[in-house]
Amino acid sequence: MNSNDVGRERHRRFDRVVSVFHRDMYRYAAWLCRDPSIAEEVVQEALLRAWKSLDALREDNAAKPWLLTIVRRENARYFERKRLETVDIDALSPAQSAMLAETEDSKLDELRQAIYKLDDDYREPLVLQVLMGHSTKEIAELMGIQQGAVLTRLHRARIKLKEEVEKEAAA
Amino acid sequence: MTTSIKNMNCEDYKEALAGDPSASFAGGDAHVAACESCAAYTAEMQAFDAKIAQALSIDVPDLALPSLPPVEDDNVVNMPFRNKQTFSMPTWVGIAATVVIAAFVGVRMIDLQPGSGLPLDQEVLAHFNHEPSALQVTTVAVSDEKFSSVVNPSIGTMDRNVGLVTYANSCIINGKTIPHLVIQGEKGPITLLLMPEEMIDGAMTLEGEGVNGVILPMGDGSIAIIGEHDEALNEIEQQIIDSVEWRI
Repeated sequence: MNSNDVGRERHRRFDRVVSVFHRDMYRYAAWLCRDPSIAEEVVQEALLRAWKSLDALREDNAAKPWLLTIVRRENARYFERKRLETVDIDALSPAQSAMLAETEDSKLDELRQAIYKLDDDYREPLVLQVLMGHSTKEIAELMGIQQGAVLTRLHRARIKLKEEVEKEAAA
Repeated sequence: MTTSIKNMNCEDYKEALAGDPSASFAGGDAHVAACESCAAYTAEMQAFDAKIAQALSIDVPDLALPSLPPVEDDNVVNMPFRNKQTFSMPTWVGIAATVVIAAFVGVRMIDLQPGSGLPLDQEVLAHFNHEPSALQVTTVAVSDEKFSSVVNPSIGTMDRNVGLVTYANSCIINGKTIPHLVIQGEKGPITLLLMPEEMIDGAMTLEGEGVNGVILPMGDGSIAIIGEHDEALNEIEQQIIDSVEWRI
């Protein structure tokens, strides 16, 4: 196989992996940073980094956790570079507002806002479990915490969300 | 059925359900079959989870792929601090002349100083960026066999109790084979490059995008330590230094 063939095969492999998981990468990034426009930047950087280190991905069936790990690191790098303030729920950008109110179901939007307001420590494992389908073991590995801590955070995240939703319903 | 499963109470069940809302964990079926309250709670939580999943599924915009550099340029792209430049023809002539001279000098010096010619800190950072696969957050330690083959007697010894060693590989820095290790820190993976032959006068801070690192002098060599941006490396530097002994 000459270098052109190698290059083409690398492109094909990258396209294959990215086409399957780019939505997950974006949603994970969006819920990590809580800003759609920043999420796009984070995903762009993550894709570039994934391209550069594609050879390190030995098996395509390990691509999802690999890509999400890259997104997580790029998100951390982004916030380290930009030194952004914590997001204030009452002072959202148009893009952030759109992220939270894009359905015609007001109850769903309320739930989305409740998720948005969760602490990072609770929101991230919830996204990884519910949206990405990760096991608690996989979440523990990705977040670098104990499996028991993941269980506790998931439990508390759901309790907080239920309380928030019930509070909204009662209001 | 184990005793713990048999004795699973409602609180245990609810906490386990939070970790696995499908309730497929051991003892879950048995408990829910015997507890109407938890059966109702399970149905309620599963319905709630479906709504959470729906809420999390935000629209995804059309994402444009970034401009992908050619594979041949990988080693250039991965170098930090290096910007792509274009050169005019006269500049190329100058570069070509410089290359010829440098090649001549390089051939004369190769026995003295093998390697890439980059300063040590840039060589270390280039290598760090070139092996991102090493930076897995994991609880799986490398085997003793692998560790011993990397930190072998030609290098020296290292007490691996300094941290959970999750990656070990023999790599090349400045033309010399050195152990590249990763331990799990408080904030994430910490890269260690043990360089027994890279003597430096004093500690060198590693500066780069998202990099928090240092190269510390140690006898006739040095050790590079690179961690997450918020990792308190100064708290573990001495431990790492103390854990290593170069071959005499």
